[in-house]
Amino acid sequence: MPYAIELTGITKRFPGVVANEQVSLAVEVGEIHAICGENGAGKSTLMKILYGMQPADEGAIRVFDKEVHLGSPTDAIAAGIGMVHQHFMLADQLTVLENVILGAEPTRSAGRIDFARARAHLREVGQAYGLTVDPDDRVETLEVGERQRVEIIKVLFRGARILILDEPTAVLVPQEVEELFRNLRGLKSAGTTIIFIDHKLDEVLEVADTITVLRQGRSVATVKPGDVTAPDLAELMIGSELPTAQTIGVTVTDEVALEVKGLTVVEEDGRVVVDDVSLRVRRGEVLGIAGVEGNGQAELIAAIIGTAAATAGTILFLGEDVTHATVRHRREAGIGYIPHDRHREGLLLQAPLWESAALGHQTRAPFAKGLFVDRAGARERTEWVRREFDVRTPSVEVATHALSGGNQQKLIVGRELAAEPAVLLAAHPTRGIDVGAQAAVWDDMRAARAAGLATLLVSADLDELIGLSDTIAVMMRGRLVAMLDPATLTARELGAHMTGAGVRGDSR
Amino acid sequence: MRRVTALPAWLRWPLYAGVGIFVLTLVETLDDTDRLTSASASQSMLRWGVPVLLAGLGGLFAERAGVVNIGLEGMMILGTWFGAWGAVNYGPWVGLLTGIGGGALGGLLHAVATVLFGVDHIISGVAINILAPGITRFLASEIFTGYPGGSITQSPRVPGVGHFTFPVLAGGEVGGWLSPNLLGSLGDRDWFFVSNVANLARGLLTQVSLVTIVALALVPLSTWLLWRTRFGLRLRICGEHPVAGEAQGIDVYRYKITAVTMSGGFAGLAGAFIASPELSGIYLEGQTTGRGFIGLAALIFGNWHPVGVLGGALLFGYPFGLGLRDLGGTASHSLLLVNAVALAAIAAWSLSKGRRTNAAVACVLAVVAAAWYLLSETVPDWWVNILPFAIVLLVLVFFAQRLRMPAADGQRYRRGEH
Repeated sequence: MPYAIELTGITKRFPGVVANEQVSLAVEVGEIHAICGENGAGKSTLMKILYGMQPADEGAIRVFDKEVHLGSPTDAIAAGIGMVHQHFMLADQLTVLENVILGAEPTRSAGRIDFARARAHLREVGQAYGLTVDPDDRVETLEVGERQRVEIIKVLFRGARILILDEPTAVLVPQEVEELFRNLRGLKSAGTTIIFIDHKLDEVLEVADTITVLRQGRSVATVKPGDVTAPDLAELMIGSELPTAQTIGVTVTDEVALEVKGLTVVEEDGRVVVDDVSLRVRRGEVLGIAGVEGNGQAELIAAIIGTAAATAGTILFLGEDVTHATVRHRREAGIGYIPHDRHREGLLLQAPLWESAALGHQTRAPFAKGLFVDRAGARERTEWVRREFDVRTPSVEVATHALSGGNQQKLIVGRELAAEPAVLLAAHPTRGIDVGAQAAVWDDMRAARAAGLATLLVSADLDELIGLSDTIAVMMRGRLVAMLDPATLTARELGAHMTGAGVRGDSR
Repeated sequence: MRRVTALPAWLRWPLYAGVGIFVLTLVETLDDTDRLTSASASQSMLRWGVPVLLAGLGGLFAERAGVVNIGLEGMMILGTWFGAWGAVNYGPWVGLLTGIGGGALGGLLHAVATVLFGVDHIISGVAINILAPGITRFLASEIFTGYPGGSITQSPRVPGVGHFTFPVLAGGEVGGWLSPNLLGSLGDRDWFFVSNVANLARGLLTQVSLVTIVALALVPLSTWLLWRTRFGLRLRICGEHPVAGEAQGIDVYRYKITAVTMSGGFAGLAGAFIASPELSGIYLEGQTTGRGFIGLAALIFGNWHPVGVLGGALLFGYPFGLGLRDLGGTASHSLLLVNAVALAAIAAWSLSKGRRTNAAVACVLAVVAAAWYLLSETVPDWWVNILPFAIVLLVLVFFAQRLRMPAADGQRYRRGEH
């Protein structure tokens, strides 16, 4: 078979780190080639090089048997390479058609866009690959899976014959993943070459024809999915066995730490985002909230921590009505909070680590003495968090943004748990961090649960939800629609519940 | 998501205008005056609306490309000086071009600062607003003081371009033939509402400056440019999601710089118009009186769309035009009643949407306006000056959910940083 892409000896150095070292990769025409590796293994850097977004320091790139120089995405597009980014590159307020034609607009004289021709070509591409979208929809009205289809069409519209997908399944529920894989197989049979970046091993094994594993910037192996198992791949990726989210034993007590009754949140525009939600979390219990993103989980958490106002209902914390209490009161009373977006809500990126470690606790010892910041106490506590929670940093004085995502997250988890809260609100506690840090966060949450912490866990990672939770509540359109027992639940069943396709769960 | 079944813009705006004129007619009848819907009211509305429209369109191009241009005021000031200078030396049409050029220079400065050097858009804009009067004063002291009739604060008289009266509809003379004046005779009939509309329409079609016609033509032209051409699509992606544009090989910097420079050109034309005989007939220091900011207000009012900007510009131009010929403050006094009616309508609308707080606030304001109207005979002239800003505040308070600014507006964008 001829090769669509051949990379030889690709090396890329950033100040202080080597992101790619002598990476070689050969992708055959018309195959689905998966690239896997931990976060930080150099997958994204390699793809950015291949898409012309960053130049390689060393090495050669051949596309369809021709040596090419890819200095910009324009060069890559010209060479027939298209990329679907993990974070969609779509403008919400523009239509599907406008997003698709952007940069490759068919025009008539005077730079007028030939909308008729654009539409016709869009329809052709859609039909050829079995991808359907309405060109006049605004992107903001589309579901995540549809947006991804728009991204793929956008690339094909430009005549790409090589498609790079950067962690395409990260944002999808299992049913959408299946749809995506069907589409990918369709593209493959139409002759498209696909490079597929992922670190979910079962998915890789299901869809790929060939798998290349990267570890610490090097290509360590190229294998066929028939020859390896998931544990084999895991070992190749991290050099040891995969951590699991499995919780052992039941630590649930009778003491209710957090009780929510009939909680309703109505947005300013009249949308009901949380609709009559009632739940209880006991000491020693982890209550998982599952749901496709945007079904009210974020607003539920916001209402409990107090950043969004409850329109109706009550929130009881250790028996105290905190429905109308300030965020500060709730924090001081003992509600811990791991926000879903650590950069925006969890940290002070430009500030030294010890200031980030004080965030949310700044009014209390050891971070404060009366009205003043207790710098010594804050540093000492941060040192302790750094030791106990394995936050890898040269010192507590470095700027927070200098830490990797995993270490930032460990700092947040450590900061919250060090304050010994009675309730922890954890929103996507391991999103976007590598396997090692993920295992550490899971360990910490398990230990806190054993010590009697009541945890409300919102996550998009279904294995994490099933593994850590004592009970899983499914949230859809603002309502809790099912209570499920994770002991007898598979990710597939949970996914079905999340999309409303599931049968009624055992209501408790 | 629920699809909004709105009327198309070409139908919606005339409808709004019709309702507005109807309210004005009602108030006129109640107040026993004829100044609110006279031909001169609409004529001066248009005249005062044009600089606001042009500034608003300037803001539109910048903000659609993601750059907030609070420096419009300064660019407009540059336009007044350069416009006057060009017109005095080379004639009125050249004056318009030099005005555009002067404003575009200011725009280019703003573009380079914000796009290439990543300066905060507000800071750069404010700096330009401070810098521009300094530059024009310096230039005037160097150049205008040497002209007969010029000084450090003013130019000699500035010549203007011609006028045009639409024959048949609004009368006038075409090559010795005295055209009929259909709207005029309709306006004289004193038919309720119909004659009022005819009078206002006649004002819009009589003695229209050719620059005004150009400015009005820029509204559909801008719409076409932004929504129908490759240039427009690429410009808009810079304001919505520049990284997505970059990923498609679009030179975001180039489009932003072009857009902001054009923005300055629009503001410069607005300035040249202010210095032209349409409004002043002279360059005079401090003559822009914040109209660049009102242009931004029209941009927000118009929801970042050219037709909306025109609507905002006319709405803001109306009280100005009215106040100008209203030294006693009686016509503006009638406007208070119009405000009261509008606020009451907003209150009813808010209530129908279930927004009780909004409805209550609008109701209180309506009562205040009505009480002020009943308890006084005239209004002070500052009232007319703050009206545009008051309207924008009200729009922001009551219609904020319907406003959609470009998603990446005002954000710093660095190539390769995402």
